[in-house]
Amino acid sequence: MRNFPAFTAATIAAIALASPLAAAQRNGAIAQDFKLTDVNGKTVQLSQFRGKTVVLEWHNPGCPFVAKHYNSGNMQATQTAALQQGAVWLTINSGAKGKQGHMTGVEAKALIAEQKIRSTHYLFDTRGVVGKAYGAKTTPHMYIIDGSGTLVYQGGIDDKPTANVADIKTARNHVLAALKEIKAGDRVSVAQARPYGCSVKYAS
Amino acid sequence: MTSDFRLFSIMLMFAALFLAPAAQAQNRLGNAELNVPATLVAESQQVKAGESVTLAFVMEPKPTWHGYWENPGDAGIGMSFDWTLPAGVTAGTAKFQVPDRLLISGIMNYIYKGDYAVLVTLSLSDAVRPGPLPISVKSEWLSCTDEICVPEQDELSITLQVVGKDASVVPDKKFDGFRAALPRPLGSEGSFAVDGDLFRLSIPLPADIEIDQPYFFILEDGVVDYAAPQTFNRDGDRLILETGARGDGFESISGILKIGDHNGFLVTASKGEVAMTGLPLTGESATNSSEAGTSLLFVALGGAILGGLLLNLMPCVFPILSLKAISLAKAGGNEAVVRRDALAYTAGVVLVATALGAVLLGLRASGAAVGWAFQLQDPRIIFVLLALVTAIGLNLAGLFELPNINFGNKLTRKDGAAGSFWTGALAAFVATPCTGPFMAAALGATIVLPPIAALVIFAGLGVGLALPFLLIAFVPAIRSRLPKPGPWLDSFRKIMAIPMFLTGIGLIWLLGRQIGTDALGLSLVFLLTVSLILWWFGGGQMKDLSRGALTSAAMVAAIVGGIIALPGQEAMKNQKLAHASGATLPSEPFSETRLSELRASGQPVFAYFTADWCITCKANEAAAIQRSETAEAFKAADVAVLMGDWTRPDPVISRFLEKHGRAGVPLYLYYAPGKEPVILPQILTVATLTELVGKAV
Repeated sequence: MRNFPAFTAATIAAIALASPLAAAQRNGAIAQDFKLTDVNGKTVQLSQFRGKTVVLEWHNPGCPFVAKHYNSGNMQATQTAALQQGAVWLTINSGAKGKQGHMTGVEAKALIAEQKIRSTHYLFDTRGVVGKAYGAKTTPHMYIIDGSGTLVYQGGIDDKPTANVADIKTARNHVLAALKEIKAGDRVSVAQARPYGCSVKYAS
Repeated sequence: MTSDFRLFSIMLMFAALFLAPAAQAQNRLGNAELNVPATLVAESQQVKAGESVTLAFVMEPKPTWHGYWENPGDAGIGMSFDWTLPAGVTAGTAKFQVPDRLLISGIMNYIYKGDYAVLVTLSLSDAVRPGPLPISVKSEWLSCTDEICVPEQDELSITLQVVGKDASVVPDKKFDGFRAALPRPLGSEGSFAVDGDLFRLSIPLPADIEIDQPYFFILEDGVVDYAAPQTFNRDGDRLILETGARGDGFESISGILKIGDHNGFLVTASKGEVAMTGLPLTGESATNSSEAGTSLLFVALGGAILGGLLLNLMPCVFPILSLKAISLAKAGGNEAVVRRDALAYTAGVVLVATALGAVLLGLRASGAAVGWAFQLQDPRIIFVLLALVTAIGLNLAGLFELPNINFGNKLTRKDGAAGSFWTGALAAFVATPCTGPFMAAALGATIVLPPIAALVIFAGLGVGLALPFLLIAFVPAIRSRLPKPGPWLDSFRKIMAIPMFLTGIGLIWLLGRQIGTDALGLSLVFLLTVSLILWWFGGGQMKDLSRGALTSAAMVAAIVGGIIALPGQEAMKNQKLAHASGATLPSEPFSETRLSELRASGQPVFAYFTADWCITCKANEAAAIQRSETAEAFKAADVAVLMGDWTRPDPVISRFLEKHGRAGVPLYLYYAPGKEPVILPQILTVATLTELVGKAV
């Protein structure tokens, strides 16, 4: 409740920055800037990370496909690899109040501790403004923005659209591959892939 | 306290997720726990070496749950199959039924809400030995409600029996239903283009195929923006779709053009130029935005009321109305009676118009292709209507007085209100065939609108029809301007019999077209009987004798007897056939028994399978089949022609096509006496056909 004014302000800021609601962001274009509030009530703005690679991850703890990648440790390992090369990882929850996966700051903090989530910030997008501006459809849905603010990857975490943990081993992790290519100064070879998972539970 | 509880529930949720594998193992034992349980069934338990058998995954989502189509749309996942098959058995690709769509906060899902079946055909090599044939498959699919998703899987198995060549195999009739819901392949290919943000697709579809609310489900991901609205144009024999594009990079695409519940066409298209030409079809705007829906409803309602108003001038309604109006005028001072009468009349009109609308919507929902005035498609109803119109005509002509339709000064009688109600009901029933061009747009809208709104339109039609009457009743100024009743009224009434008889003639013509001259003769005899009964009744009235009960009984007997004597479905079919035999190349309807009969008798047979929506079929018919050269050559060689019409799904034809390795029409077969059938190319020429016969002779 203490965070409420800050939260409201951030939401308004997000609307101001993200509107008009563009359809999905395009690869190769400057990614839409946004401001959201994290679990501690702190306002985080995308453009404050200029110069660094930023990974966006859409999250919903109740989704079995998200569970596949967290229960197996795959998502945390990807987060660790990103942080090690100096990237920023923003986990965004666009679940609306009353919908599956919506959490309060306290609940999210407990979840982060419990699952050892390594993201730089866990952000709330309760009104779905940022999610819709990015065209985020599923959880997980991944985006990578390079140091110049350009969107270089959007799509699924990997190429095995199943809920089966055993498939992680044989799948191509699109995010790890893209991060490696960015680090080496190469073009991202797979810049777009089909996202898979549950639908983002937006406020309708 | 609350947050502790929430924390606890989150932990519980994760505990449940960790335990998920155990739960899935349980699912395998009894699939009753699945939200979209699957059952594997075979079309026949017996199968022969060298042949194939179709299996169905029968999916039965629990209430509020749904499963996904091959391409799930923005989110979700399709179905996967991991087969374990004995040597010599191969599984084909899965065939999915025409899906539904579900848009939740801008995320498009391609789903199945109700029960559905996924079909897979297994082919057996010649080497498979007789005996049991164990089949098992591990399948994964995603089950969702509007709120949550659960990945489900099951290991399904079935044991078939390989039987000898001579054993009989009885196919499961359920599969006819499963197949009927599969999309039918269009005979010809379309083309598509991606131009910046726009995706366009041109689908070959004959101009006379009725489509209500088309939607294109694309199979390939990354080409179109699933949630973007789809708009359709119709340009002659092409249907053009325009929607938002997502990306490029495909040389060919495929998908399902849905034109109704469980009714769709399999479309393939290759890259090309597509321009948005032709006239727009009312797309999905009406269902997608409630605002547009509301304005459409008002426009359509206005159209319906105006249409109903115009109906009053139609020959079939005008006589009833004009006399009713004058009788009202005659009531003069008694305001209350006039109003009560007008309201009763309005109630009759609105009730019948709405009821007819409801029946129409019901029939449509059950999949029948019916239009407004559908009641005139049934000859028995035309027949009754004919009797009714003639009786009214005779009544107007003065042959007898009908107690219920109040002319003269019986207005104050007790049955006035009931009489008015029935006059209204009758007016609405007879008026429907007159709706014609005025109503086309408004009635078209009822197809797009939700059922309740559609019923409002039908009611609006009734209100329009009753409107002049209401005006006369409630606005004394109008009433006072109506001509005063007098001796001229009697002549006017007799003249009004003429349009009534004209309507009768129209109905007789319609009846003749539907069932031929036999029915025509019958209906004329029937009309004479009706006239005689009524004449006798009228004679009684003049002498002040009550013959009402006897007359009613005689009329009922005449109508029931007439309907029984009326040739039914059989005759209608024959009439159609008579038309077919009037074609350049006459044909008989296809059936497997007729085919084997003809083959047994040593006659060469040309069998062709066509559908009204298949452009290639129509082109072939015009260019090669229905040509005098072909007809002469076939006649000379004594070739029997069988025609299978697949316009509506027909399980017999579907199975036959499948047996010949075709998923759809066209299929052209030539059976030379005593030889294996030859499958002709999909594009025919006169030469192909005539040479065929030349060789055979």
